Amino acid sequence: MGAMAGISNSKSGFIIYLCVGYYLIMAVLAPGFFTLNNTMNLLFNLLPLLIIAIGQTYVMLTAGIDLSVTSIVAMCSVLGGFMMSSDTGLFQSEFAAILFGISTMLLGGALIGTINGFAVAKLGMPAFMVTLTTMILFSGLAIWLTQSQNLYNLPEAFIDMPYTSLLGIPIPVYVGLLVVLVAYFLLNRTIFGEWIYAVGANTKTAKISGVNVPKTIVLVYVFSGLCAAVGAILYTARLETGSPVMGQNILLDVIGAVVIGGTSLFGGKGKIAWTFFGALFMTLLDNSLNLLNLSFFIIMVVKGSVILGAAILNTVLEKSLKAT
Amino acid sequence: MKWILNKNMQRLLDNSTMVLFALTVLFFSLLSPEFFSFNNFFNILVQGAALAILATGMTFVLLTAGIDLSVGSIMFLVGVISGKMVVSGLPLWFAGVIVLGIGLAFGFVNALFIFRLKVIPFIVTLATFYAGRGLGLLISDTRAINLPESLLKLGSGKIWGIPVPILLMLIVVFLAYFILTRTNFGKHVYAVGHDPEKSRKAGISVNRVLLKVYLICGFCAALGGLVAISQLGAISPTFGLQSEFMAIAAAILGGTSLFGGRGSVFPGTLIGVLLIQSIQNGLVMINADPYLHPLITGSIIFLIVMIDSLQNMRRKKAKKLGLN
Repeated sequence: MGAMAGISNSKSGFIIYLCVGYYLIMAVLAPGFFTLNNTMNLLFNLLPLLIIAIGQTYVMLTAGIDLSVTSIVAMCSVLGGFMMSSDTGLFQSEFAAILFGISTMLLGGALIGTINGFAVAKLGMPAFMVTLTTMILFSGLAIWLTQSQNLYNLPEAFIDMPYTSLLGIPIPVYVGLLVVLVAYFLLNRTIFGEWIYAVGANTKTAKISGVNVPKTIVLVYVFSGLCAAVGAILYTARLETGSPVMGQNILLDVIGAVVIGGTSLFGGKGKIAWTFFGALFMTLLDNSLNLLNLSFFIIMVVKGSVILGAAILNTVLEKSLKAT
Repeated sequence: MKWILNKNMQRLLDNSTMVLFALTVLFFSLLSPEFFSFNNFFNILVQGAALAILATGMTFVLLTAGIDLSVGSIMFLVGVISGKMVVSGLPLWFAGVIVLGIGLAFGFVNALFIFRLKVIPFIVTLATFYAGRGLGLLISDTRAINLPESLLKLGSGKIWGIPVPILLMLIVVFLAYFILTRTNFGKHVYAVGHDPEKSRKAGISVNRVLLKVYLICGFCAALGGLVAISQLGAISPTFGLQSEFMAIAAAILGGTSLFGGRGSVFPGTLIGVLLIQSIQNGLVMINADPYLHPLITGSIIFLIVMIDSLQNMRRKKAKKLGLN
């Protein structure tokens, strides 16, 4: 059934044209859009979303879904805040605080990912239910641990990180680049990547042809957890606080970015590049609508319409491509 | 004797959600004598009525391998519009008719984009999710709306000694059960979810089936929204948030598959709803720390899905062995 396939197709490269076209239109329409300042803003908003969406892409390629990413962001933000804040004062030196803070966040993300993956792969539980419950569990845990309080007084070097440059490029850009490259390499140049596509295309065939299906599934959820943890590091540094409600509202943006990029919810079809442009499109959309000085609710309505419009345009284009 | 035991064991295994539901009730009953009372069971039914109606509509959509993320937004929009109408002095029945129409309109738009323009249900309903909530926030001016007595009276009113919410829930569940098990349309819903291509070849109008299920889902969301606000004193801007996930969770707990073609409204989805509602009610009854509610709810749902999945795996294995 046509409607079940992804909305985009690698042949048409639709999402790329969409991003470029939208960018050009907004450069004319939205005041202050085409400025260095706003470009930096765009970049900082794009990076965490992109990183989390890349993890989600891995999961969706196996026909799974990870609804727990936002609670992983919240949990990691709280963990990191707890380790690094001078209020808790666990570490004397700033360096040790940051080192242990970041490691704890990554470890936390990987651990929640392991729970998700284990439940899906070894216990045969539906991914939607597993990650829905871990979403409820860990966002509840983050709120309970902090009693709804934010953790402030993070190390200077940590909250300066988004604005610190190496060779003229801010550190978060390196982080984003690293995640993209690793994700691309794993997916396209290793046996693990082949396994992921095989599992998503057809689990039974994959098993028969010798793919270690459970291991693949556990690893994609661990990867998604790690990506969400990296996203949490960027958010926590930027907002200068460990917050138990961090990332609460980005779940549908993350999944939307992956799906609008063209990755199929039913597995086996998707690419890192598609997700990059999907995330870019979602970020452009939010950023430009904010600049147009529209109210919060109009933004939501327009956002919905543009997503739908993009999807329709893509289907129409694909049909005409097929016809010619 | 042994044969009967086996048969009963088999039945038990087939209804593991039901058994787990009974265990949950037992657990809370032991901890709190007030939980196990006729009055409280009535309460659970009243509190669960809105979710049951919502989840019933969702079950239809899930059975066709679709998804409807817009139901929470429909609930919110319906609440805001009917609240505003009743506050401004319009009769209750008029407001009710209007908002049920709005629910149908949302369902119609969802279905139209899905079968006419071939956009995947996830994207379409994600767009209407944003649009609906944005509209609701626009109309309510992001402020809470206090509801008049007349609406609350409906929620606490009784017909033939049965509270109105329970009556509405029973009617909806019974109608859904009847439609799904006793009509041709019901058979078509399962067929489309199982294999849309084959259904088309067998002469089923897939488009018409999809249109009807999204109309049903939109209508149920609006009705569920009405039932929910008739029990609240005010509508906050967060009303209905994540209701779509709770509705999907209830359906899946009741044995409905996200991949279409498998599931039931009765007993399935209804048991799922009662389970979720009993846990929430029980936690209040035993005076659990409110911060712990999501932790316990999440854990119990996780445990139930896990046990169910393990049973499922064992059953499949047994079948395989039996065939060999």
